[in-house]
Amino acid sequence: DTNGVQQKKFKKFESYKRDNQFPSRVADLAIVVDVKAATIVLPIMGRPVPFHINTIKNASKSDEGDFAYLRINFLSPGQGVGRKDERDPFEDPNAHFIRSLTFRSKDADRMADIAQQVTELRKNAVRREQEKKELED
Amino acid sequence: MESFERIYLDLSKQPGKCRIAETGLGWKPSGGGDTFTLDANNIQAAQWSRAAKGYELKILSRNAGVIQLDGFEQEDFDRTVKVFKLFYGINLENKEHALRGWNWGKADFGKSELSFNVQNRPAFEVPYTEITNTNLAGKNEVAVEFSLPANGSETGTNGHLGGARGKGRKAGAGKDQLVEMRFYIPGTVTKKEENEDGEEK
Repeated sequence: DTNGVQQKKFKKFESYKRDNQFPSRVADLAIVVDVKAATIVLPIMGRPVPFHINTIKNASKSDEGDFAYLRINFLSPGQGVGRKDERDPFEDPNAHFIRSLTFRSKDADRMADIAQQVTELRKNAVRREQEKKELED
Repeated sequence: MESFERIYLDLSKQPGKCRIAETGLGWKPSGGGDTFTLDANNIQAAQWSRAAKGYELKILSRNAGVIQLDGFEQEDFDRTVKVFKLFYGINLENKEHALRGWNWGKADFGKSELSFNVQNRPAFEVPYTEITNTNLAGKNEVAVEFSLPANGSETGTNGHLGGARGKGRKAGAGKDQLVEMRFYIPGTVTKKEENEDGEEK
């Protein structure tokens, strides 16, 4: 059953198992890119919230006034991107999705650096996924 | 009475001392200044979770919004449970958060906050006091905007509570400040689901 196999594969990705696995830098209420966990940790109302790189579509930085803005777009239904077989959670028609999160900071260089790191992490994830597929075929 | 050092009130810059007494709860910034107090009868519910600095004691108050006290040690849990039961008759709930890193789940609208749940565990919560605007940004897309200071340099309570960030100021706490969040909410809602949503606490 192809569907079952795909589902199992999909559910494999997980940022952390325990809350002591967060990088210690999350204490600063700032965005942390955790390369080892292929995860970006975002501060939301004082809580570190992990998002696995597999959920992220892209990240972009823009400047406006005194602030730099970092917008993180997530994979979600109705965007016409990604292949159907990679999107098993979309099978639940009632699921809600975080579609995007936007942060601002006065440190434009840091925001640009985070956007760059996310892009890099995303590229690596896609490459690894392709390599895995080729091995399976 | 129990007392805890190096606790942060509502994402404050400065740590302080938190005291839990029979009459209520207090927090005093280490650097000196005004003390925050919460009357025992204003405490409605309490949760214990992992947060940024350490473990967080979150209090859902009757008329002072959601109060967050971060920086507890894991081993403070038992002491805190005991006094909450003894002093306030409240069951301090150990609430584990979702750590999977998924962006899909269910947005739940509770009494004082919106929580996004992944596999029945909250990934994060947003008190309604922190939201300035919501709008339908597109088909099945809801945009939520957060309350932020215009210049980003104001310090919450203007320093008099160690820079604690009470109602409507939490999004501006860190150097990276959440501006906007967009949700995809499927449009086809059946009668049955509406009922289920309505029954949620």
